[in-house]
Amino acid sequence: MIKVALAGQPNCGKSTIFNLVSGINQHIANYPGVTVDKKVGRFSYKEQKIEMVDLPGTYSFSSYSLEERVAKEFIVDEKPDVIVNIVDASNIKRHLYLTFQLLEIGIPVVVVLNMIDVATRRGIEIDAQKISQMLGCKVIIASGAKGIGGDEIMEAIVKTSQESAGSFKINYEELEPLIEETQSEIETSQIPLDKRWLAIKLLESDETISAKLEVEFKDIKESTKAKEEKFHSLYDKDIAPFLAAIRYDSADIIYHKCVKHLKESSETVTDKVDKIVLNRWLAFPILLLIMFLVYELSIVYGYKLTDYTWPLLAMFKNAVIGVLPEPQFTDIPMVTDFTIWMVNSANALMNYIPIFFILFALIAIMEDVGYMPRMAFILDKIFKKFGLHGQSTLPLVLGGAMVGGCAVPGVMSTKGIADDRARMATILTVPYMNCLAKVPFYTLILGAFFKEEMALMMFYISTVTVFIALIVAKLLATTVLGTRETSPFVMELPPYHLPTFKGVIIRAAQRVWVYIKKVVTIVLAVAIVLFAMLQFPGLSEDSIQKFDIQAQKALDNFDKKAKKSAYYELVDTKEEIYTLLNYYDNYKSQRMIASGKEGAEAVDADFMQKNEALFKFVKSGDDKEAGEINKLLRKLSKDRNKILREVKNEKIENSFLGMIGRSMEPLTQYAGFDWRINVAFLSSFAARESAVATLGSLYENNKADDQRAEEAMAQNSGYTPLHAVAIIIFMILTPPCIATMIVVKLQANSYKWMLFAIFFPITLGIIISSSIFTFGSMFEVSGLDAMGYFYASVVALALVFGLFPTKTKNWFVDKK
Amino acid sequence: MCLSHIKKGQKCRLVSINGEGKLKQKLLDMGFIFGADIEVIREAPLYDPMELKIHNYLISLRKSEANLLEVELV
Ligand SMILES: Nc1nc2c(ncn2[C@@H]2O[C@H](COP(=O)(O)OP(=O)(O)OP(=O)(O)O)[C@@H](O)[C@H]2O)c(=O)[nH]1
Ligand SMILES: [Mg+2]
Repeated sequence: MIKVALAGQPNCGKSTIFNLVSGINQHIANYPGVTVDKKVGRFSYKEQKIEMVDLPGTYSFSSYSLEERVAKEFIVDEKPDVIVNIVDASNIKRHLYLTFQLLEIGIPVVVVLNMIDVATRRGIEIDAQKISQMLGCKVIIASGAKGIGGDEIMEAIVKTSQESAGSFKINYEELEPLIEETQSEIETSQIPLDKRWLAIKLLESDETISAKLEVEFKDIKESTKAKEEKFHSLYDKDIAPFLAAIRYDSADIIYHKCVKHLKESSETVTDKVDKIVLNRWLAFPILLLIMFLVYELSIVYGYKLTDYTWPLLAMFKNAVIGVLPEPQFTDIPMVTDFTIWMVNSANALMNYIPIFFILFALIAIMEDVGYMPRMAFILDKIFKKFGLHGQSTLPLVLGGAMVGGCAVPGVMSTKGIADDRARMATILTVPYMNCLAKVPFYTLILGAFFKEEMALMMFYISTVTVFIALIVAKLLATTVLGTRETSPFVMELPPYHLPTFKGVIIRAAQRVWVYIKKVVTIVLAVAIVLFAMLQFPGLSEDSIQKFDIQAQKALDNFDKKAKKSAYYELVDTKEEIYTLLNYYDNYKSQRMIASGKEGAEAVDADFMQKNEALFKFVKSGDDKEAGEINKLLRKLSKDRNKILREVKNEKIENSFLGMIGRSMEPLTQYAGFDWRINVAFLSSFAARESAVATLGSLYENNKADDQRAEEAMAQNSGYTPLHAVAIIIFMILTPPCIATMIVVKLQANSYKWMLFAIFFPITLGIIISSSIFTFGSMFEVSGLDAMGYFYASVVALALVFGLFPTKTKNWFVDKK
Repeated sequence: MCLSHIKKGQKCRLVSINGEGKLKQKLLDMGFIFGADIEVIREAPLYDPMELKIHNYLISLRKSEANLLEVELV
């Protein structure tokens, strides 16, 4: 097997080449790390097994950034057989800077001049032969995006893997004596890499290499330190800038010998576009327009798409229900109950897939085009004030900074943020954004308590989140994250590229797949726990008896009236009634999701075929006698649902979750929450949709069937609008849903931060809701006014916070 | 003078970096070596950061960091 590492500076097309040569249908594993992920692909080329690793992009091979550390540790520890160095042919000079460092390692290198199409377009002519001679390694011309050069690269890899490394050497002039001296000191080292390279790395005070060599040579750090000082006193130069200068000079020499500019460097497309996109007056309108488009296409349009995908999910659900044991009137088998609960939980999440796919595709386009770094450039100044970063824009937008979104893709897109503190602050604030799944909950509460002022309240809700996020970010950045490393904001603004269709689709699909795999599986696990906590310990003996009597009464009632019917013999046993009732209910629910006239007819035909004898009872037509039974069925179905709802309600009340909700009342009473609200919040942890469902079922009971949840809640709960405001504010701040917490764990790479991300918002939420409710009741403030005061204070606080500078310079005084 | 004071469209040459550690290494790796030619392309719409051209590619740098770069006009 040949082990190949793909290395190169950021954005030179490594992943594109990786996909080109490995064929994307191959197994590509994803190892998400903190800011980096290296992708491994295993495939065969002409009967040779290849293992290829796509390393994160690095400008250099020093150990100051995490990506560089990961890339270097991979090469040192795994010792690949060949390093493929991808070079951007349109920007050779800077890329050669890294190439030299790779050549020194002592592992055979293949250099790939990628983006040759761009270079040609710009009139850059490159003498690859000559570069190959000067570097002493194979040089391949390629264009990943256009699919050129794949075979040649693979040929070169296979050939090179059988050769030993070339003998390329940069002459470091004044430093040479010290390099030789160091090299002789470590000559006996067991590390199977070039000793000269190790010596150079030591002199560069590279931490990874120093640590490795210190195991073998105890005093190596001190003796190196002495050499550095000696060099400084002799030439008045530090080693790091000295090496950088020599490498750049060498790159310059190769550049001048091998590269010709045919066209006089005229204004490039990138220059022209940037004149508009980064124009002082146009930048913000364009930014807003783009965000609006992303929002409109993914969230709004994607939501419409779910109208088409939802029936598919409903069909799935019905298919599952079809194979489950049928209920015996009010006695629903546990398997059935449980499976339906699981399918519902899964469907609630799967429903978002069209939205995610569009969203991820659009992000991939923006990434490919090169707009993301521009966005960071434009907004950096504002975000910097709150401890965030220009690159925080996209995560916040995805999270729902404008009207609505989802924190899961938001948190996932924080990966690219270079500054560690800003990245953590972004990860922890994205969950505050306005989650789409919260909207039904707000609608329920506003419909119950703020019918008149709904629009104003909705405006408050959706805009206040941004200010809260800024405040929280600032708070975190100056406190718990205060000691985190910050990075200088030195960011390349790459030339604009046309995105490739294939690349965009692949990336979007991969991200959606990660969502499905990671999120859905874990959410389902939590759904199981929630189910158990809502089911057990279950009803008391007395209640079971009470509901049995009710059920019997409903059945007797049916029986009495059905006796008069000509069809009585078809429904004169319990089993027959159960079957008919289930048949009737199934028919009703199938008709509900059937679309149009044809759909309805198809359902009819289906049920006709299933049981012709019973069909007349669900669709009686002119048959008067059957019509009577149909009426009785409707009544019986209604009775059954009423009993089931009461059972459910009592079960929840007696359940473990109900008990927890009740036990929290002493604390939550200050915010005006009773146990019902507590249970709703607790169950919304699995997926926010459950909050509405739980509240709905808790309040709908005992009342006539056609009353809507809003009305039921307004009448039965005993809440005032002030209660409602406290509930809404708590919902704005929390509860973080489990799916979001999973990605927070993934991105922050620590359970500690995940727990923090759960409990900090809850604490904040309960404190703020309690103060609003307690003071509101004390001074008899109306709900609307309370919300207004809350909004005004949050905005004011955000503005004040923005005025305080955030300390960002701890890289300036060298760490350690 | 420092780089942060150079006007849009002006060209200058790097004399020294007054930073340390991470910042210095990063700048060196990005090509901010002694004698490198730098052109100021523009400032961000909110006046910070600034966009530079060095070794024929574009880079963005906050003013607080540009303050640490000593340059001379050419
Ligand atoms: N015109 C052109 N564009 C290319 C070529 N190869 C890659 N690209 C584009 O360059 C951009 C960066 O490509 P990637 O493959 O993501 O680069 P990378 O080196 O993996 O980047 P990082 O993982 O961020 O280090 C994408 O927009 C590609 O579509 C090429 O040969 N020609
Ligand atoms: Mg990549």
